[in-house]
Amino acid sequence: MFLTVNGNKIEHLGDGTVSALLAELGATPEHTALTVNGDLVFSKHWKIFKLNDGDTIEVLTFVGGG
Amino acid sequence: MLKLGNVEFKSRLILGTGKFSDTATMIAAIEASGTELVTVALRRFNRDKPSDDLCAPLAKLKGVKLMPNTSGAMNAKEAVRAAQLGRELSGSPFVKVEIHPNPHHLMPDAIETYLAAKELAADGFIVLPYIPADPVLAKKLEDVGCAAVMPLGAAIGSGSGLSTAEMIKLIIRDSNIPVIVDAGLRAPSEAARAIEMGCDAVLVNSAIAAAKDPVAMAKAFALGVKTGYAARQAGLMPKSDIAVATSPLTSFLK
Repeated sequence: MFLTVNGNKIEHLGDGTVSALLAELGATPEHTALTVNGDLVFSKHWKIFKLNDGDTIEVLTFVGGG
Repeated sequence: MLKLGNVEFKSRLILGTGKFSDTATMIAAIEASGTELVTVALRRFNRDKPSDDLCAPLAKLKGVKLMPNTSGAMNAKEAVRAAQLGRELSGSPFVKVEIHPNPHHLMPDAIETYLAAKELAADGFIVLPYIPADPVLAKKLEDVGCAAVMPLGAAIGSGSGLSTAEMIKLIIRDSNIPVIVDAGLRAPSEAARAIEMGCDAVLVNSAIAAAKDPVAMAKAFALGVKTGYAARQAGLMPKSDIAVATSPLTSFLK
């Protein structure tokens, strides 16, 4: 399926869960928060939350800021 | 003791983590400052620059809590979402609400900040809003449950010092929650002055991160804050418009 992740269109080849997407991206789950189509998806749901073709996902982490 | 929500802090210095040349320097500065609360920002994960990720180095710090900010939010709705993401990622109830839509001056949007702060306080966050030095707004934010107000001393990153001192004094006079000067400070003497005049804490980022020696400057700010608080406890002498002699003016040798 095709997803828009952080503004870039990518083809996801995994099982369609958030966990699979993060593994594909190389993101550390404990250092990550994310939204799907603008809604926050809690990390406790990532293993079962199914993404759909065309979803827009924002994958976020902490950086330095004042 | 500084109390924010139900959490007590020994240090009256809060540090921002932006603008440091590298993560090791930032961590060393945090440790040197003695701070127990640091701000962080949320940004898109970048697989090409995993070193930007501060979660791992910050997790190693003992006794330092995280306060995610909402920088990048252009309105209350975006700030609330950023705060929820920050809480999910940090597990921390603290949030610095900052909404500054104009990149030229970075002045906080008072209306959107108020709306976001009200919603987040009702949702159980410990809310510290970054605000213009406006005593009316500060009081309204106290009324909706903010844990503190953070009026700006001057524009973010400007190093222009306590240019809003007179307005901040008005905020302190009426406030029943901590008042924290956030933004604009350049020198530890300014932090000392802020605490001397009644502020409960200061939040410093650029002044430390952009100093020639950030770790040494972090120590200097810690001393400035401690000096300011010690002076306030000691009680400053009254001011006078005319000279008041310290030596006797009578019975001089003739």
